Amino acid sequence: MKFYYFHLMPYYMDHDAPSSWVTLSNRLYDPALGHTLYNQYLDQLEYAERLGWDGLCVNEHHQNCYGTMPSPNVMAAMLVRRTTTAKIAILGNGLPLRENPLRIAEEIAMLDVASGGRVISGFVRGISAEYFSTGVNPTQSRDRFYEAAELILRSWTEEGPFPFDGRFYRYHYVNPWPRPIQKPHPPVWCPSQGSSETVEWAAKRRFPYLMVFTPIKRIAQIYGEYREACERNGYKASRYQLTVNVPIVVAESDAKARELAKKHVMWVFNTGLRMHPPFWRPPGYMTEASLRRVLANPPKLPSELEFEEADREGYLIYGSAATVRDKLRVFSDELKAGILCSGMTGPSHEETLEMMQRFSEEVMPHFREDANVDETAGVGR
Amino acid sequence: MPASHELSVRGTPVQMLQDGSGPPLLFLHGAGGAGRWLAFQERLAKDFSVYFPSHPGHGGSPAAEWIEHISDLAFHYLDLLDELDLERVHLVGASFGGWIAAEIATMASHRLASLVLIDPVGIRVDGWIYPFLFGMDIPEIVTTIFQNPMAALALAPPDQSVETLALQYRQGAALARVSWNPYLYNPLLRRRLGRISAPTLLCWGAHDKLAPLAPCGETWAREIAGARLRVFDESGHVPHLEEPDAVAEAIGEFCRLREGAA
Repeated sequence: MKFYYFHLMPYYMDHDAPSSWVTLSNRLYDPALGHTLYNQYLDQLEYAERLGWDGLCVNEHHQNCYGTMPSPNVMAAMLVRRTTTAKIAILGNGLPLRENPLRIAEEIAMLDVASGGRVISGFVRGISAEYFSTGVNPTQSRDRFYEAAELILRSWTEEGPFPFDGRFYRYHYVNPWPRPIQKPHPPVWCPSQGSSETVEWAAKRRFPYLMVFTPIKRIAQIYGEYREACERNGYKASRYQLTVNVPIVVAESDAKARELAKKHVMWVFNTGLRMHPPFWRPPGYMTEASLRRVLANPPKLPSELEFEEADREGYLIYGSAATVRDKLRVFSDELKAGILCSGMTGPSHEETLEMMQRFSEEVMPHFREDANVDETAGVGR
Repeated sequence: MPASHELSVRGTPVQMLQDGSGPPLLFLHGAGGAGRWLAFQERLAKDFSVYFPSHPGHGGSPAAEWIEHISDLAFHYLDLLDELDLERVHLVGASFGGWIAAEIATMASHRLASLVLIDPVGIRVDGWIYPFLFGMDIPEIVTTIFQNPMAALALAPPDQSVETLALQYRQGAALARVSWNPYLYNPLLRRRLGRISAPTLLCWGAHDKLAPLAPCGETWAREIAGARLRVFDESGHVPHLEEPDAVAEAIGEFCRLREGAA
C-alpha cells in the first residue's frame, strides 16, 4: 500500500454559528494564529516525506474554518521546493470554479516542471458550498467540469497554439508555456462523493477515484461500481486507482487514541462540516437521478454524526499501532485500496509529529510489499 | 375548476391551466407558484379568459435543457401565444414571472393589450441587492416573501415524499439556470424598459422585502413611460397571494379601461 499524507489545514475553533461555511464571519480568523498554523501544517507535510510517506496531499476549499486552503497550488508550490521525492497530490483544483481554467493547466505544469514530475493533479467540481462562495452557477457545474477538464488535458497533450470554442470557455490561442514534464501529462485523480456519472467518467479515463470521509460500506459499493465501469471500458482497475482518505489517530493505547479521535476527528465532522442546510444542496448541482438516489437513502449530516456511529461505520481509524494495523487491513485486503491518503491530528503540533512518527514506524512497514512499485505507472492518464 | 391542458410549444411540453371567459389574459407565475390556481386566478377568471402555463421545469411542465437565459423564456411565451393563436393578450406576471413579462414587453409590446407587473424582479436597481433566496432555509424565505406568513400556506408542499422533493429541486434548478448569477436580473433589461409601449400597471406590496417599493418599485415606475403604480398596504412580495381580491380588482379595472380605449 502507498501512503499519502493529507492535510486539510483546518482552523480549529468552537463557535455557535449555524454554518462553518460561507457565512462564518472571517472576523473570527486571526491571521497571527493563521501564520503559526500554516507553518506547522507545512512542517508536518515536509516531515511526512522524511518519515517515508510516498505523497503529500493538499486541496481546495473556500470561506470556512474546515480547511483554510483556498489555493492548493500555492501550498503545493511551497512543498515542491522543500521536498525531493514525495509526490505532490493536489486533490484538487475545482475546475468549474475558475473563469479561466487554462490557468490551472499552467499552474500544474509549472509545479510539475519545477518538481521534476512529482505532481498529481486532482480534478474536482468543488463541494456544494463552493457555489455559494464563488457565485458560479451550480446548474452548470457538471458541464463546466467536463469542458474545463477537456481543455486542460488537450492543452497538456496537443501542440499549441490551437483554438478552443466551448460553451463556457473560449480561446483563440491555447498554447500554455510551460508544458508538463510528465508524459503524456501529470496523473489526474478524481476525488468524489460517488455520483455514478463521475465514477463512469473517471473509470473511462483510468483516473484514480478517491473517496473522502465516507463510511466503509459506501466505499465498498462505489469501488465495486468503479471496478465494473473499468471492466465495461475494457480493462481491469489497478489497485492504485482505488484510493481512500480516512482520518487516522494512533496513540500508545486504544483508550488514549479513542479520546483523541473523539475530540479531534469529530471536530472535523461536527464543527468543520457544520453547514447551513441550503448550502448542502444548491439547485441543479446534482442530476435529478443522483438526487433521487440521495433522497431514497438520505445520508446523515456530518454535523449530526455521533462518535459511536462514526466508529461503527468506519468513518475513521483510531487505536494503538496494533489496532490501527488491524483496521487498516480492511482497507488494504478487503477493499483493496492501493493508496491511503490520510492525515492525522494530535492535540498539539508536537504531538501530531509524534503520532506521525509512531504511524511510520509501527504501522506503515507492515504494508510495504509494494515498496518498489511506481503507483503512477499507467494510471491517471 | 380550471381545465388542465398539455401543449407542445415548438417541441417544448407545457402544462397549462385555463378557465374563465372574456378577453385573453396570460398569467406568468413566480417561483413556487406553478399550477396553483388560487383565489387570485379564480377572481381574474370572472373577467378574463385566463391562461396559466407552468414554466418549463416548474409544476407539471418538464425541464427544458435549451432554456439557459431569461430571454429564452420570453421567446418561449411568444411562441406559446402563436401556438394558442392569441394575437393580443393582457399579460400579467408576478415576481419571476414579472421579469419574464417585462422581457416580453421589451420585445413585442404590440402583442400586449396591457402589461401588469406584480412586484417584478429582473432589473438591476441602484442601491439594492436582492436578498439571496437560494441561500435561505424555508422560514427565512417565508419571512422575506410574505408580510402575512399565513398566506404562504397556499404554496406549502403537500408532503415530503421523494416525488415532491424532486419536483422542488427541479423547480429550483430551472430557476437557478436563468437567475443564479446575475441574481434575479438581466443587466440588459433596465435600459430596454423604455421600449415598452403597452399600457403598464405596476402592483407593489408595501412591505416587499425582496424587491422593496423603494427603491425597486420606484425605479420600475420611472423607467416605464406612463406606468401606473398601485401599492397594496397589507402585502409583502406577493400581493396577488396576500390580497388576491384587491389585486385582481385593480387589474380588472386597469384592463377594462384599456379594452374600452381600444
